[in-house]
This record gives sequence, C-alpha cells and structure tokens, in this order.
Amino acid sequence: MSEDWGSIRFVKNQFRRFYEAKSKFVKAPTEILRREFGFLSFEGKTMIRHLSFNNEDQLRSAIVENTPAHIYYSSAYYKNPEAEMDKKCWLGADLVFDIDADHIDTACKEDHDNWICKSCGLEGRGRAPQTCSRCGKNSFEEEAWLCDRCLEAAKFEAQKLIDILIQDLGFTPLDLEVNFTGNRGYHVHVKAPMIHKLDQIGRREIVDYITGTGLKVEFHGFSRTRGGASTMADPGWRGRTARAVYDYLSEADEASIQGLKLSSQALKNILEEKSEILKVLREDHSSRILKYLDLKSLQALVEASIKKQASAIDTVVTTDLHRLIRLPNTLHGKTGFMAQRVNLDDLEDYDPLTRAIAFKGDRIRVMVKRAPKFRIGNEVLGPFKDEQTILPVAGAVFLLCRRAARVEG
Amino acid sequence: MISEREAAKYPFLKEATSLVETLNIKVEDLANPNYSRILDRGERRVSEAIIDGIVGNGVPDDLTELLSMPVAIMLVSAVGDRFLERRYAHAEAARAQKLLWSESEAFIAELAKRQFGWEIKYARRELDEQTYLFEVGFVDYLRNAGSFHEDKWKLVNRVLSGGRVLLTRMEVIRLLQVEVEDFVLGRVSKHIRVEIPETVQARVENISKLFEEHRRRISGAELPPEAVSEAFPPCIKHAFEGLLSGRRASHMERFALTSFLVNSGMDLEQILQLFVSVTDFDEQLTKYQIEHIAGLRGSRTRYTPPNCATMRTHGVCYNPDIYCKGVKHPLTYYKRRVQSIKGGEKTSLGITGSNHQGGI
Repeated sequence: MSEDWGSIRFVKNQFRRFYEAKSKFVKAPTEILRREFGFLSFEGKTMIRHLSFNNEDQLRSAIVENTPAHIYYSSAYYKNPEAEMDKKCWLGADLVFDIDADHIDTACKEDHDNWICKSCGLEGRGRAPQTCSRCGKNSFEEEAWLCDRCLEAAKFEAQKLIDILIQDLGFTPLDLEVNFTGNRGYHVHVKAPMIHKLDQIGRREIVDYITGTGLKVEFHGFSRTRGGASTMADPGWRGRTARAVYDYLSEADEASIQGLKLSSQALKNILEEKSEILKVLREDHSSRILKYLDLKSLQALVEASIKKQASAIDTVVTTDLHRLIRLPNTLHGKTGFMAQRVNLDDLEDYDPLTRAIAFKGDRIRVMVKRAPKFRIGNEVLGPFKDEQTILPVAGAVFLLCRRAARVEG
Repeated sequence: MISEREAAKYPFLKEATSLVETLNIKVEDLANPNYSRILDRGERRVSEAIIDGIVGNGVPDDLTELLSMPVAIMLVSAVGDRFLERRYAHAEAARAQKLLWSESEAFIAELAKRQFGWEIKYARRELDEQTYLFEVGFVDYLRNAGSFHEDKWKLVNRVLSGGRVLLTRMEVIRLLQVEVEDFVLGRVSKHIRVEIPETVQARVENISKLFEEHRRRISGAELPPEAVSEAFPPCIKHAFEGLLSGRRASHMERFALTSFLVNSGMDLEQILQLFVSVTDFDEQLTKYQIEHIAGLRGSRTRYTPPNCATMRTHGVCYNPDIYCKGVKHPLTYYKRRVQSIKGGEKTSLGITGSNHQGGI
C-alpha cells in the first residue's frame, strides 16, 4: 500500500529517534521559567501554546515524548507564561530579528520556486503574482525551495545586521545569538537586559534604523546650508549613506539610473560626471556632491542605494512583543534540518546544508512528485518529477517534510 | 541633600519627594486654614494646566510651592478623568522644561542620570555647524523620543555610534520633559482612595467644572458617525481598492484597513459583506476577526489602525498626499478631511448659488 505524500508516520519516527539520541543538545533558553513554549505537532494544524517548563530536563522530556514538528519559545518573559494571553503579565522581551530568503529578491527564485492558482490551476515560476492572470483570483499554493544562493543572500543580510548591532547600537558579540532557522534564513537574538523593557515604538525605531526606513539625507551631513562634513569613513548612517551612493553609482547601469526620480540636471550630471562624483565621495566631504545634484535627487538616489547597506529583516517579527520563535538545536518540520546555533566567528564559512543536516545513515527509496535540484552535504540531488529514486535519508526526509515525496515499499 | 529652593523648582526629584514625606502632612490636615495657601497654589497649578497647558510661576515661599504639587496631584487624581490627568502631566512637564533651560550641563546630566537612570555623558562635539553636548544611550533615547514624529527624532536620522546618540542641549531637555510627564502621569493615575475633607472637595469640584468648560476646546475634532470614504487617507484608499480588486494584502495592510473601517463609523455588517463579497474568505472566520478588532471579542480592546510611522515601517504607507503633511495617524487625517470636506461643501454650494443668481 502506498502512503500519503509526506509519509508523516515515517518522518515523525525519524524525528523521535533523533530527539531520543540528541535531545541533550537542546538548550533551555535563558530564564526558562519566564518563557512560554509552543509545539506544533505533525498531525494538527494549530499550535499548542502556553506551555511552560521548570527546567531543561523537563523541556527535553516533553520534546522526546511529544515529538513535535516545530518547537518554539517566546522572546518575551512573563510572570505567568502558562496563562492565557491577557493574564500572562509581560515582563520584557529579547530583541529578535528574522531574516528569511522569502523577503529577499534573489534571481534564483525563478529557477526553484513555483505557484499554482487555487481557483483555475494556472501554474508559474518564481513568486506568485498579486492576482492570477487567467482568473483574477488571488489565492495560490506556493512552493518556495532553498538553494545555496538564497542561503548566501540571507547570510549576507544577517552579517549586515550584526555589523549594525555591534558598530552602531554598541552591542558586544557576547550579547548576540545567531541561529540558522533550519529553513531559509537566520535568527539573531539580542538578550542584553537593557533592551528587555523596550516598547513596540522603540523596537520599530530600531527596525527603521536597520532597514534605513525614513532616512533623510540632510541629517547625515548632506546639507549645503549646514556645512555638512561627513565622509564615507564616518560611523553610522552618516558614512553608510555615502558608501551606499558610492557603491550604487559604481555599479549601476545607465538604465537603472534613468529609472530613478532625478531632476533632469542631476541625471545629466551623474551620467556625464560620474567619475568626478565618485572621486568627491572617495576623497572629500560627501556633501560636496550637492554641487552635482539637488537635495531631492540625492534623496531619491540614496533611497535606491541603501538596500545594499541596510539589512532586509522581517519588520513584523522584531516589533512583536509576544513573538514565539524557533528553539535552536531542534528540528524544522518543513525541512528536517536543524535550527542551529552558529558561532559569530564561524558565520562567514557556515554552510547550513552541511552543518545542519540532522539525519545520517541509510538510503531509502521514495517516490518524488516534484523537486528542483538541491544539495545535501556534498551530494547534489534531483531534479525529480514523478519518479522513484533512492536518496540519503536527510534528502528523503527533506522532500517528505515538504510533502513532495512519499516512502515506497 | 538639595535645597528647598531646588525641591520647589523640581518637585518630582527623589530628594524633593522624600522632603515632602518627612514633613508628614496628612490629607485631613489640609482642612486647616493654615494650609490654605498650599491649597490655593495646588488648585492654581491645575487650572493653569487646563487653561494654558503649562503650569506657571510659583509662589515665593519654597515650602508652599513644593507642597502644592502633591496637593495638585491629589486634586487631579480625585477628579478621575484620564484626559485631565494627561493634560496636567503635560503642563507640569512643560514647566520643568522651561526651568531646565537655565540650568548648567552638569546639572542636566546629573538629573537625567540620578532621577531617570539615563546613560548620559557630557561630551562636546561640533558637527555640520551643530553643537552636540551630550551622548545618550540609545535605549534611554528611544524610550522618550519614540513618541515624536519629526524626521529629526527618528533614530535612523541620528548620529549613533557604539550605542550612543549625539544630542544637543535643547534635545536632552526635550527628552527630559517626556520623562517628567511620564512620572507625573504615573502619580496622578494611581487613584489612591483617600477621604477628602469637605473644604478640599469644593476645590475638586471647581477643577472638574473648569475642565468641563474647556474640554471641547482642547480635545479637538470627533470622528463622524458614518463613514465618509472620500476622506480616507491614501494608504487606506490603496488597501481598500486593493481589496476590491482582489490584490493580495499583507497581514499588516489588512489589519490597518479593518481597524480603520471599524473606527471610521462603518457598520460591522457592512465591513463583513465587503470582505466576503470580494474574497473567498470564510464568513465565520472573517466575522470573528472583525469583531475582535472592533473590541467585541477577546481582550475587548477596540483596535485603532497603526500610526503613520508604523505603517511606514511595514511598508503599508502608500503614496502620501499633501494632507498627510503634519499628520501622524490615519484617523487624524480622516478627521481633518471629514471636517474640511463638510465645510468645503457648504462654501462650494454658496459659490454655485451666487454664480447662478449672477448669471441670470
């Protein structure tokens, strides 16, 4: 008898065996008594929330016993973590950041992501459109896969974030915890007590700082009347703004510069005297480039440029004071990979598709519905379409977790 | 220990409040005619707050001045009106700000550190022809500047390095004003039950009456009873049109739209029909969510849409127009536009009429 797509029983069994052997690596978050936990089971669709544990052992036993598909804990600290939301009594929260390749425009999405319109069945590659071009509805089944390029892009965003947290906000590397999420990105936690009480507005300001939202050039030394004297080497957004413009102008082609909302004079100057402008940025006070372009055009240029300097964090996660976030060193139920603590010093060379592989051992036979090419460790697998194949267990679990395959025989 | 003069100037200081405690004056003592000057000044603090929005000059006797603040707090608290409490806290803070202007940098830094626990350092720096005198920890900065909406207060527009924000003298004083306001607000909203002597009760009633006289003037416009869709701000129009055209919306956009509609005066049933008719939402679920936002379920909080800054953060602020200038909240935009549209209708009708007559 052939099983359902995803072979839940098989996967759950793999997860259980993993936790039986490895739950000792699951670390309780700091102040476990004040944290809420949430389990999402393989069978159910709703989260079991408001769980609370007295110590690490209790948490580990519950994980082995229940074998959830996903394990979360609250970034918040509560007086009564097991109570209903309005009786929990919020005491504070870590500052958390989520970087997900979903939010980053990578060209490879066209290669490995696809969508199907739930109403008319129209299919397409890349991200789903706003509305279906055939039936006009807006409900899609989306498949987002991960690849090296997506993961590298996410890592780059994490590195920029960490840089801002340390250089600008003054946190030390010891204040930061970096985790691979087990799927398409990274989580960065700041646990320093000084930020625990920060309210939603304060967190929103931090988000805006990190994404460069609301940045106005006149406050960063780009002002003729105020004798701006910033340089590319300056700390904070002062220097970063200048570097962003420098990088952008060095790399952008004529067409994309023309696409910016620049005054015709500014556009002309940029196209004709680009090397002069770059020289000013390199050698002089950044504000001197106002000789070539008016303030409004500079603002437009900066807005187009700062993406490369800012970090593409998920704005909702950081501003949520009650967020449940994945517990590191547990398994991700949509991939079978480990959410994994990464040392700050190791991040540069960290390869999640090697290091976060949880399942090792035998190969198994699976029927694959559809999968693009993917990598597990040193092995490149796929692409597959409606075919039987024998895969290393980590690769098989990965496809099963994504409901793209089923165990055969 | 600080002098009585200083305590009278800054009655919110820890030293000032402990000085008040050592005097050990009970509420019932206030009925004694010897204290009438304190009561007079206490009542005047509140009436100045109501009328002028700032507590004015004090009386020459420092002890009377010092004691008049706890008395004022008691009077405001006894009225028990949230709006008056905020008005009073704001006015006390405005007074403190004015006084801080003439203090030395050392005094200001010390006050911020000792009284409010700030991480603050005196450090002079000239930048873009601006003189910065202080470095303040970003958490202390955000706790107080978060409610300001001008571009210059956004963290992203500050010089920030190593966790410290550069601030001018004027800016630090402005932030301290927020601290004082929060402190006073915390005190007046405690509502400790006390037996108030009859003579004092008369003063509570004076204040209550005075406040009612001024309430309308200081509270601004009310929301219209029925939705006026022409007055919707661009962000809401965009979300609304997006919903009608079937465009997919983020959670934040949908929340902003629903909470806006709930507050705009639109009927809940109407909102529900709107959602269900143009999308394939589950009716029961949608109904539940709308009722939740309207405060009929769950925590019973009626949600308002996020303010403009939050809308920008989450990328839901769309195509701001000229009326958005100076507006910090979609509902404020709406209130103002409703008023001017309604006002405008009258004028334009008038003009049409007179033209008509002239034409004939």
